[in-house]
Amino acid sequence: MTVMLDFPPVYPGIFSTQGELHLVGGYCPCCDSYQFPAPEICANCFGAVEQVNLGGTGTLYSLTTIRTKPPLGLPTPYRVGYVDLDSAPLRIFTLLDSETSPLSIGQNVHLKVAQVGLNSEGKPCLRPYFTGTDS
Amino acid sequence: MVSIIGAAMTPFGRHLDRTIVSLAIEATRLALQDASLAKERIGACYFANTLGPLIFGDTTLGQNLTAATGLYRIPVINVENACASGSTAFHLARNAILAGDCEVALVVGAEKMCVPDFGLINSGATELDTQLGMVVPAGFALKAQRHMYEYGTTAQQLAQVTVKSRRHAALNPLAQFRQLESMEQVLASPLIADPLTRSQCCPIADGAAALILASDDFAARMKRAVKVKASVLASGIYDGRCDLTHWETDYETVRLAYERAGIGPQDLDLVECHDAFTISEILHYEALGLCDRGEGGQLAESGATELGGRIPVNVSGGLLSRGHPIAATGLAQIVELVTQLRHEAQDRQVEGCRIALAHCMGGDKAGDTKACTVSVLAKN
Repeated sequence: MTVMLDFPPVYPGIFSTQGELHLVGGYCPCCDSYQFPAPEICANCFGAVEQVNLGGTGTLYSLTTIRTKPPLGLPTPYRVGYVDLDSAPLRIFTLLDSETSPLSIGQNVHLKVAQVGLNSEGKPCLRPYFTGTDS
Repeated sequence: MVSIIGAAMTPFGRHLDRTIVSLAIEATRLALQDASLAKERIGACYFANTLGPLIFGDTTLGQNLTAATGLYRIPVINVENACASGSTAFHLARNAILAGDCEVALVVGAEKMCVPDFGLINSGATELDTQLGMVVPAGFALKAQRHMYEYGTTAQQLAQVTVKSRRHAALNPLAQFRQLESMEQVLASPLIADPLTRSQCCPIADGAAALILASDDFAARMKRAVKVKASVLASGIYDGRCDLTHWETDYETVRLAYERAGIGPQDLDLVECHDAFTISEILHYEALGLCDRGEGGQLAESGATELGGRIPVNVSGGLLSRGHPIAATGLAQIVELVTQLRHEAQDRQVEGCRIALAHCMGGDKAGDTKACTVSVLAKN
């Protein structure tokens, strides 16, 4: 997974490299609630949501390795999981690094972005993923 | 109340030379025959199919079925609700009869999935989770991992669900996988998504199932009629706070169904639940109150859910062994309940079966399910 930030993101507006790499979500000031990805409106009050920096660190809540033929040009095998974000009460589904380094539930993980797999048009794209290693 | 007066299904498995509509015609014909009913009595058709638009580019197939079976000028409603499409169609037909919109309704679910390069299904191609690699087995594997972590559920307990499922399916001539499988074989089959091996994932299949529903007045003198005591359909909240050791919507739907049927888990003689993967059945045991939270693995191990046990579950073989032609599944579960409640299930008959429950769910969103249905049926 090499970093080549000139590819388009797999999904618009979910991360930013401005300052430290971080996820971008939505925050409703009326309801004091967070969402990822940012919704069009707050599902509770229908008000406008603000873009919010959700940071790039969290705790691994669950993980698995997918060993069948992968979709979207993802590596074989690839790992996915749910991460509890440090910055907001959100548990999000995420791609994990596909290296062989062991990962386990409860481990601290942090965000990276790299060209991984293809987008729905079949073109290389950037995907955010969490990893437990610093390299 | 509403009664089921006809129930039938095609064998589930590979039907390479058949179309969706051809399978639907067969199930419809068999259901009419089962009800000893002239087709002219049918007042509405609820038709469930999920993947026709995606695989074949075919839409609104219900009218193709009614045209092919001479069910002229009746309202036809095409239904899609992921794996709960068939049971949702059933729910809608039952509501239409309760509302007095018709006296007799035909409900059909038909699916064809055995095509080259079918691949893995997802819960919507443009969803962020799908774009990040969420495929159906992943959602279930992530639940299994967390359940094992929190409650100590073991790989052997998971595998036991498949062992039981194959044993039951061996007694069901319409099931797809009828060969017995040992625990060693289940655990040695290739890993799909850790900890789930291939034998712990339901197979894709072709097939159709059909039910004929009627008002109680209409069904009054029909000796083989089965009553629908409750039917519930629910969706979830999806607010990014999921607890992966359960489906929140599973619990909510089951609670409503028990309340409306005026029963509890102790009253059930048989359950057909949505065992898409082994972990699903274990989580549904808990949601249905067949055991306490976290003890689903132990219940699987205990043998209580086998034919002859305290509360037999998925005696048809379930999704794991009967096969899972998506939109037909929710109706095939009800076909099994009807067969059992009529005491016509032969080798796999549950002794003294009087009250039975069908549970189906479909689609994944934010760690919960998109649609969950629970129906409670009883023989008079």
